[in-house]
Amino acid sequence: MELLNVDNITMQFGGLTAVSNFKLKIVPGELIGLIGPNGAGKTTVFNIITGIYTPTTNKIFFQDQDITGIKPDKIAKLGIARTFQNIRLLDNLSVMDNVMIGFHLHLKSNLASAIFGLPGYVREEESIYHKSIELLEKVDLDEFKNEKAGSLPYGQQRKLEIVRALATGPKLLLLDEPAAGMNPQETKELMNFIQKIQEDFNLTILLIEHDMKVVMGICKRILVLDYGVTIAEGNPFEIQNNPEVIKAYLGVDVKNYA
Amino acid sequence: MKKNNGKLYTIVTLIVLAILVYYAEKNLDAYNLRILNLGAIYVTLGVSLNLIFGFTGQFSLGHAGFMAIGAYVTTLLVLPPWYKEMIFIIEPLIWPFTIMHTPFIIALILSGIFAAIAALLIGLPVLRLKGDYLGIATLGFAEIIRIIANNIPQITNGALGIKGIPEFTNLWWTVGAAVITIYIIKGLINSSYGRALMAIRENEIAAEVIGVNLTYHKVMSFVISAFFAGVAGGLFACLLTTIDPKAFMFIMTFNILIVVVLGGIGSITGTVIAAFLFNISLEYLRPIEAGFNIGPIVIPAIPGLRMVTFATLLLIVILYKQNGLMGGVEFSWNGVSRFFQRIFSNKESSEGGAK
Repeated sequence: MELLNVDNITMQFGGLTAVSNFKLKIVPGELIGLIGPNGAGKTTVFNIITGIYTPTTNKIFFQDQDITGIKPDKIAKLGIARTFQNIRLLDNLSVMDNVMIGFHLHLKSNLASAIFGLPGYVREEESIYHKSIELLEKVDLDEFKNEKAGSLPYGQQRKLEIVRALATGPKLLLLDEPAAGMNPQETKELMNFIQKIQEDFNLTILLIEHDMKVVMGICKRILVLDYGVTIAEGNPFEIQNNPEVIKAYLGVDVKNYA
Repeated sequence: MKKNNGKLYTIVTLIVLAILVYYAEKNLDAYNLRILNLGAIYVTLGVSLNLIFGFTGQFSLGHAGFMAIGAYVTTLLVLPPWYKEMIFIIEPLIWPFTIMHTPFIIALILSGIFAAIAALLIGLPVLRLKGDYLGIATLGFAEIIRIIANNIPQITNGALGIKGIPEFTNLWWTVGAAVITIYIIKGLINSSYGRALMAIRENEIAAEVIGVNLTYHKVMSFVISAFFAGVAGGLFACLLTTIDPKAFMFIMTFNILIVVVLGGIGSITGTVIAAFLFNISLEYLRPIEAGFNIGPIVIPAIPGLRMVTFATLLLIVILYKQNGLMGGVEFSWNGVSRFFQRIFSNKESSEGGAK
């Protein structure tokens, strides 16, 4: 059974077709890369899967449940979490709060017991606090727990955003250019980190990335988008030698101009 | 251990506050009491506006409307039926209001509930808007409430307003309402729901993708905010003893907004300080309008000069403290103890240096 089934969707903004006839089936435990030149529609695919956009035609299924047109917070509750290309942390809140908010969707206490600090709520909040600390310790961010999230260095902010996504308890994690702006050393650490969290949290991961070393290094299957059209799909070796992909990235075959 | 200390301090502070209120009620004249009462009502208004504007980040300018609803509900409920029959001269009061008569406390709670219902009804469609657009829509709502109040004389006595409302409001009520408002809103903000509200303020898309239900949390914040604005409206009516639609013009909302911005957006402590500062300074600047001399220079009596002075003071504060008086910092007992520890450790080190 697939975890996610994106069934031939098309997304149009007015006259512009951002994504056309996009198909993607993901089985549990996969780590899939989504690549393509700038403006190819990769982030649009993420926005469609997480419910920020509703596709113009056809449907998306998550664990055989139709999630087309469902609100982002409901989709998060079902078990899809994501990060953003341009980091979207809660800058003025502490690192701790940024992680604790991830547990909000599992909150059982009602509003009144939260306002008046009733015992049931306090217990729940304490357990959330401990779980958050555990998560932060795993990525060595616990020493920053009282800092404002916006004051962290760039690489740490990326990590924190992933941790926040993990806090929601996802089955499917969507990472939008996690290695953007990182140096080679940080990128290497990130690759290990992604593989580690996939094992630890039993995750299925869909990854957008421009850094080919990352994509080729950790993804078993890769999809290539260009102008909203899927031009290739296969393992890293197939993708590297696909003429369509080379054309999309480097332009038309040089011989044609010779 | 430390937490318990904080609770103890809070209880002691509340007792001290009660003694102060008792003293003020016994010894201060009506003029000063009026200023303090207004200050406390502005605390309720400011803290409730801070919930939706400062903590949830939704630019709402509808507070005067919710106040108006609260003021009219309280007035209609506390006035005795025979009196209502007498004063509604344009058109007689319509049925349910003619016989309704409740104690002040129930009138206040119902005021809050009616304001909250209004907030629920307009919040659901309007809170989809963002930023300035939301501000304009809520401002429009407040004006609509005022104009409706002007045009249904069978309930509000129209532009004539209602006079002779019993003066139930005293410092016990206003300070009590302010304390309850602060307690509940502070409890909300420090809870996980408050964290969700601040997440919406910080980044709406991120909050939604993490699983925060935007509509629910925004409307919840808006409704709670309106509830307290309604209660404050009721207190306001029974303090002034007379209300008419003109009392709830948009200028009322802006007064509350000034209090929130002056105190620091997202700081309850700041709002409390600013609420009293606003009312006290507006009143004590009055002598300026009477004309005065600075050495040989004679300043004649200019009506309105106090507002100019006040605006100048406000500008200075905003120029030098962009984040308001408290700048988002919140009062806490831990903060106080840290403050004293710092003073003491400074003293020790400076003493050490002198040797």
